[in-house]
Amino acid sequence: MRSSPGRRRLLAAAGATLVAASTVAACGSESGTQINVYYAPEQNFQSVIDQCNKEAGGKYEIVYRKLPRDADGQREQMVRRLAAGDTDLDILGLDVTWVPEFAEAKWLEEWTGADKTAAEDDVLEGPLSTAMWNDKLYAATKNTNVQLLWYDDTVTPTPPATWREMIDAAKDLKSQGKPYQILFTGAQYEGLVVTYNTLVASYGGKILSDDGKSVVMDKGAIDALRLLKEVASEGITDPSLTNAQEQQVQQAFERPDSDAAFELNWPYVYAAIQDANPDRAKNFKWARYPGIDGPGRVTVGGYNLAVSAYSQHKPESFEAALCLRSAESQRYSAINDGVPPTIESVYDGDDAEFVKAYPMWETIAEELDDAAVRPLTVVYQNLSTITSKVLSPPQDIDPESTAAELRDQLQKALDSKGVLP
Amino acid sequence: MTQVTPTFIPQDAGKAKSRKETARKARWTVVDVVIVAYALIPVLWTLSLSFKTAEAQTDKSFFPSEWTFQNYKDIFTTNEFIRALINSIGIAIIATVIAVVLGTMAAYAIARLDFPGKQLLVGVSLLIAMFPQVSLVSPLFEMERQLGLFDTWPGLILPYITFALPLAIYTLSAFFREIPWELEKAAKMDGATPAQAFRRVIAPLAAPGVFTTAILVFIFCWNDFLFAISLTSTEASRTVPAALSFFTGASQFEAPTGTISAAAVVITIPIIIFVLFFQRRIVAGLTSGAVKG
Amino acid sequence: MSQTAEAPVTAAPPPKKGKPALSEGKKAERRLGLLLCAPAAVVMIAVTGWPIIYSVWLSLQRYDLRFPDQREFVGFSNYVAVLSDGYWWTAFGVTALITVISVVIELVLGMLLALAMHRTLVGRGLVRTVSLIPYGIVTVVAAFSWFYAWNADTGYLADLFGADAPLTDRVASLAIIILAEVWKTTPFMALLLMAGLALVPDDLLKAASMDGATAWQRFTKVMLPVMKPAILVALLFRTLDAFRIFDNIFVLTKGANDTSSVSMQTYNNLIKGLNLGIGSTMSVLIFIAVAIIAFIFVKLFGASAPGNDPGGKR
Repeated sequence: MRSSPGRRRLLAAAGATLVAASTVAACGSESGTQINVYYAPEQNFQSVIDQCNKEAGGKYEIVYRKLPRDADGQREQMVRRLAAGDTDLDILGLDVTWVPEFAEAKWLEEWTGADKTAAEDDVLEGPLSTAMWNDKLYAATKNTNVQLLWYDDTVTPTPPATWREMIDAAKDLKSQGKPYQILFTGAQYEGLVVTYNTLVASYGGKILSDDGKSVVMDKGAIDALRLLKEVASEGITDPSLTNAQEQQVQQAFERPDSDAAFELNWPYVYAAIQDANPDRAKNFKWARYPGIDGPGRVTVGGYNLAVSAYSQHKPESFEAALCLRSAESQRYSAINDGVPPTIESVYDGDDAEFVKAYPMWETIAEELDDAAVRPLTVVYQNLSTITSKVLSPPQDIDPESTAAELRDQLQKALDSKGVLP
Repeated sequence: MTQVTPTFIPQDAGKAKSRKETARKARWTVVDVVIVAYALIPVLWTLSLSFKTAEAQTDKSFFPSEWTFQNYKDIFTTNEFIRALINSIGIAIIATVIAVVLGTMAAYAIARLDFPGKQLLVGVSLLIAMFPQVSLVSPLFEMERQLGLFDTWPGLILPYITFALPLAIYTLSAFFREIPWELEKAAKMDGATPAQAFRRVIAPLAAPGVFTTAILVFIFCWNDFLFAISLTSTEASRTVPAALSFFTGASQFEAPTGTISAAAVVITIPIIIFVLFFQRRIVAGLTSGAVKG
Repeated sequence: MSQTAEAPVTAAPPPKKGKPALSEGKKAERRLGLLLCAPAAVVMIAVTGWPIIYSVWLSLQRYDLRFPDQREFVGFSNYVAVLSDGYWWTAFGVTALITVISVVIELVLGMLLALAMHRTLVGRGLVRTVSLIPYGIVTVVAAFSWFYAWNADTGYLADLFGADAPLTDRVASLAIIILAEVWKTTPFMALLLMAGLALVPDDLLKAASMDGATAWQRFTKVMLPVMKPAILVALLFRTLDAFRIFDNIFVLTKGANDTSSVSMQTYNNLIKGLNLGIGSTMSVLIFIAVAIIAFIFVKLFGASAPGNDPGGKR
C-alpha cells in the first residue's frame, strides 16, 4: 500500500463514508415502546411474536433478538450484557437451569400480583419449580421437554419398563444377532448430567440437599453411578457413547444399518425419523422412560421467559412475556416447533392438530406429572461442568470413589472455591 | 560439475531442452495434484454435505446420491445472511486496509529507523498478540457500550485492526529489513525525495510482504468468531461467522449441517477471489540484480 | 529520512541517553520514526490497554459474578489455586503436546508447500489459491466437517482405520485433533515462508549452483539464512496460536478423555463458571507460558527479530 498523503486521505475519506453509511443504516426508526426479547433461534417464534404484536394493538412492539443456537452461547451473551447493566434487554429466554443463577445475581425482576397468578395458572408442577427461586417466582414457563424411551416394535414388541429389563433385553438381543444397543447421550456435556440426574431421581436419591446448599450424594445417587457404569461397560451401547450428543444418538438409530434397539431421547426424534428413515419410522414407537421399580422420573428441560431487572419497560415486558407463553402461543409452538407445552390445558386429546403433531402427548403428560428437575442452585453451571467431567467416561466409574470425588468437588463449587476442569 | 560450453547441433539442443522441460512439468503436475487433493478433500466433503438432502446427511457416502440446491436456496430466503455478508465484506476490507497501512508505516520505522521506544513497541505489540482474547472481550464490550460503539461497524473494525497489527508489523518489518539500503541511497543520489524514494524503490520491493500481510489480515477478520458474536447484537453489524451460529435446524437439537455447509461454501468464495487476486503480487526475484556487489 | 548531507545510514551506534548533542539527521530520524509508529501504537493501546490491565487486576481478586458480595483482594492465592490443580496441569500437558507436534509438522509441511507454491511450473495461481483454502474456511465449519467425517455413525473416515470409534479413544482423538489443526493452519506457515522465499535473490542461487552446490546445500546455505526473519514470524505466531487451541478440540471431543486444552479450561472457568478471578488468572498464566515461548524463539533467532537491526546498512 502506498503511503503518499493524497491516497491516504482518499482512503480515509472512503473509510469514513462507509462507516457513516453503515451507522445510519443501522439506526432503525423507533416510534413507541420496543420490547426486545432475547431468545434462542426457533423457526416459528417470529409468528408467535407477530401474533402478540397484533394483540398488543400498538401499545408496544416486540422485537426478536436472536441468540446463538447453543445454550452455552445464549447464556454467555446474556450474562455479559446483564453484568454490564445493559438496558437493551427486556425479556430473556432462560434455559430451566439458569433461573437460580440469574435471580441470585439480581438480574431478574420478580413476578408479583396478577402477573404472578397468570404465570402460574394451570402450569405443570415440574416446569413451574424451575421458574422459582427462594419461593419467589422469577419467570414464566414457556415450554418444557422430557425424554422418552423409543424402540422398534419389530425388534422388541413390548418395551422394557425398567432399566434391568432393558439391559437384559439388550444382552439377549445381542446374543441373537439382532439390533441390541441402548443409545443415550454420553458425551462430556450437559446431556450426560441429564441422564445421570434422571437415574438418581428414579432411585429416589439426591445429589444436593433441598435448599441447594450442601452435597448429599446418598445411596440412591451411588446406586445410579453403579447402574450408569454397568450400562456403559457391558458392551450394549454404541461404541461412540462418549462422543454422543442428542443428534448423534438420533442418527445412530436412524441409520439404515443401525444396531440400536433402544433410544433415550427428546420427542423431536419422532418427526426427524419420518424423513430420515421412513421404513424404520413405521415401527418407531415410544414408551415411558424406564426406571428402577417402574417408570422413571425424567429430568425436564425447556425454556422460561423472565423480565430483566434493567429493562426500561417492565410493565409492558411482563404483559408481552405472558402473551408469548400463553396457552395459544404454547399450542402453536408445540405444533410448529416441536416444543412441549407447560400449560396442562394444551394437552387435549380432542385437539386433532395437537394430537397429530404429538401422537405421544399422553406419555409426555404422564411423565411431566412425575418429573424431576436438575439441582436448583446458583452454581449449577459449575455442578454441570464438574459432574460431566467426573462421570466421563462412564465405563471408568467406580461407584464409591467417584461418589467421593463428586462429593468433594461439588462441595467446593457450592462454597465458591476450587477450579473447574 | 564444471560448466561445459554446449557444442551440439541446435536441433538436438531444442529437442533435449523440451524433453527436460516436459519431464519437469510432469513432476510438478504430480506435486500440484497431491497438494490440491490434500487441501481440497475435506473441503469437498463440506461441499458435498451442502448438496445433500436433509435425510442423506447421515449416509456415509462422500458424494451425494441425489443433488439438491435446497440448502443454498434456504440460506437466501431471508435477508439475514445477505446482510451478514455485506457486513463481513465491508468490515474485513476496511480493517485490512487500515491495518496494512498502519502496519506498513510502523514496520518501516522499526526496520529502518532508529528511535527511542522501538523495542518497547515491538514488545508491546507481541504482548497484545499473546494475551488470550477471551478475557479481553468483556472489558472491551463494556468500553464499547459506554462509547456507543457496540453493534456498529467501527465496533468490530477497531478490535480487528488492533489484533491484526502485531502480525502485520512483524511480517512487514521482516520484509523491510531485507531490502538493501543501497537502493534508497542510490535513489536519493539520483535526486529523489524520501517519499519518492519510498514509492518508487522501496514499496515495490516490499510488495510480497504487503500482500502476504493483506491476505492474512483479511482472512483473520473474515473468519473471526469471538468478537463477532460478542460485540454485535443485531443484523446491523453481525458478520457471517456469527450468523452461522444462528442458523436453525429442524429442532433445538439438530444442527443444520446442510445449510451451514452451504453457507460455509458461499463465504469461502470471497476469500478465494481475494487470494487469487493478490497472490500474483507475491513474486520472486525483485531484489536480484538491483545491487551490484 | 533527513535531507542533510550527513547520511543517516552510517552504522553509528544508537546515541546513549543523556548524550547532549544529537545530529540534526538523527533527531529528524527519531521524529519520523515516532511519527510513523504513533497511529499503530495509539490504536493498539487504546483498544487493549484497559482490558489487559483490568484482566490482570481481576486475577488478583476473588471475584465470582454470582457472589458479588464476596469480592475481595486476595493477592496471589488464585495463582496458587490454579497451579496446584491437577486438571490444569493435564490440560497444560495436552496443550503443549499438541502445540509441539503440530508446529513441527506444519513447519516441515509448510516449507515443502512453500517451495511448491513458489516454484511450480504448472498452474501456479491455482496451487497457491487452493492451498490457502483450508486456512480461509471458518474454523468451526472445518471442525464440524472433520467431526462428521470421523464420527462412527456418519463419517467416511471412521471405518478407514478399523478403530471402533476413533473420537472416543484418547490417542486417536489427539491424533485427529492434530490432523485437523495441521490441515487448517499449514497454509498460514506456507504463505509466510513463500513470501520469504520471494526475497531470495535468484542470481545468488544461480551463482551457488554454478559453484557446484547441491539442491540441499542451496537450500540450507542460501535460502534459509535469507528467510530467517520470515521463518521467525511464521513459527512465532503459529506457536502462539497453537497454544491457544480451542475450536477444534471443542467440536471434535468437547475435551472428553482428557483432551481438554488450557483455553477450554479458561473458558469453563471464566464464562461458564463466571469466576472472573480464576478465569483471569488462567489467562495471565497462558500469557506467561506463551511469552516464555516467544522469548525463547526471539533469542534463538537473534538478529532476525524485528527492531534488532539498529538501522545500519546490509
